[in-house]
Amino acid sequence: MKAAKYVILIVLMAAVAYNSVYFKKLDEVKASRSAKQFNAAAYAQTFWTAKLIPNLDKAIDITQLTTMLSTNAPKTFDTYSHALGIGNLRYFLVKGKGTLASVNEDDVSILLQLDTSRQILTLATEYIFGNAIRDATGLVNVSDFTNTMDFNNVSAELNKIIREKVLPPFKQQAKKGDKVEFTGAIELNKEHLDISKIEVIPVRIMSNE
Amino acid sequence: MERLAAKNIFVTILFACILFLNGCKTNRSADGKKKVAVIISTLNNPWFVVLAQTAAAKASSLGYETKIFDSQNNTSLEADNFENAIASGYDAILFNPTDADGSVVNVLKAKTAGVPVFCMDREVNSTEAATSQILSDNYSGCVAIGKYFVEQMKKKGKYVEILGLVGDNNTWNRSRGFHSVVDFYRSLQMVAQQSADFDRNKAMEVTESLLQAHPDIDAVFCGNDAMASGAYQALVAAGKAGDVKVFGFDGAEDVVKSIKDKKIVATGMQFPKVMATTAATYADEYFKGKRDFPQKMPVAVELVTQQNVNEYAGYGKKDSTQK
Repeated sequence: MKAAKYVILIVLMAAVAYNSVYFKKLDEVKASRSAKQFNAAAYAQTFWTAKLIPNLDKAIDITQLTTMLSTNAPKTFDTYSHALGIGNLRYFLVKGKGTLASVNEDDVSILLQLDTSRQILTLATEYIFGNAIRDATGLVNVSDFTNTMDFNNVSAELNKIIREKVLPPFKQQAKKGDKVEFTGAIELNKEHLDISKIEVIPVRIMSNE
Repeated sequence: MERLAAKNIFVTILFACILFLNGCKTNRSADGKKKVAVIISTLNNPWFVVLAQTAAAKASSLGYETKIFDSQNNTSLEADNFENAIASGYDAILFNPTDADGSVVNVLKAKTAGVPVFCMDREVNSTEAATSQILSDNYSGCVAIGKYFVEQMKKKGKYVEILGLVGDNNTWNRSRGFHSVVDFYRSLQMVAQQSADFDRNKAMEVTESLLQAHPDIDAVFCGNDAMASGAYQALVAAGKAGDVKVFGFDGAEDVVKSIKDKKIVATGMQFPKVMATTAATYADEYFKGKRDFPQKMPVAVELVTQQNVNEYAGYGKKDSTQK
């Protein structure tokens, strides 16, 4: 009787031990983990080609935007700006035409073509950081991301495309007096609006002498 | 036999009483209001007091009975607070965690009990536990500080970084955001990186010892404003306050004043009131049937410099209105 008890106990312990331990190849575990990881570079590239570029036509003319901001800023923000999160920082997709007034170390100044007045705008060529490109179209949804670093990395990857693909050909040739046509994104603070210091992060720039 | 029958009757009555009392347990307060608990990591820091009081005031204004629980930066006390809140029939918890990992179990406990949890400012390391997490966009705020840092340093110089608590996600999101800009510039050299646990006195000590090892630094980047104040104090004591640029993060009242006085160069302004009111509003929407909340909702952080400091006050804009 006692022997039978021991046998049952051993069988039970063996069953528990067998079901408690399992072996998997380290490569398989690593592969399944990396498959679950968000690929920001791939997301950014798809967003760039499938969403951002096809929607550049929806950009608002920068001179029209500044006029509307001067007359009715809250309505203009509500109609044209986007942001992934909550707060005062909002983003617009803008376009414009003008003449290169100066080529500087970190940016270029563009004299916009206006009928009655002059407006100078800055186009960034050095500091391509922040969320302007990611957020300006309003096509990226915060609910698509579960981790904070994922949507931060999307911004970093989009900015990398601009730094590596958009700017080098422009910077090589840019000189004072060139005619330029641009589309890009801007960040404005809706609580403290300053339209005299608008800086455009470019997505597309075309220039000719 | 009679004794046994009496015993059975007694047990039956006792069981019925238990069932009756359990049935009487309600989620509502005496006046029929739903109840919202505000569980805060610590009320020892004025920043978190603002967060707690704003959350409670907003929930109260939406018609809910509220109570603030102080976890005193202690995860086990936080667990007690959760148990109390659940047992007392609170319907939602507005939560500022003590620990990104250690607090997950508490949030899951509430979830199991059917109580939604809305995290404020600090996150928990789970996307399955809280109903939503409303968080300062620390990374992007420090991207803006990083850009301003590079401009102010004219792309060259030596600096030290003073980190917050190494176990806190905010510490690394801030550091990563800052380095995502600054590391592009090879002539900007970080000569030391050390933690001072978000503490002013520790930051002063750390800066004092770093200044002995690296007397030629040009800047100090700190992961919060308390540490920026401590670092500045150490620089004053060493007679280097005018030579070394100090950058902070938070938007604390004393640092906003220091920026006005041209002692500290810049900080990142967080908006605790916006986070708190959003969390209370989400709880209200949850009670009304909404379920599709974003898991992480970033709240923009604004760069405060000596040029725009007059538009800001501690914990927000001077003219800030709550949404």
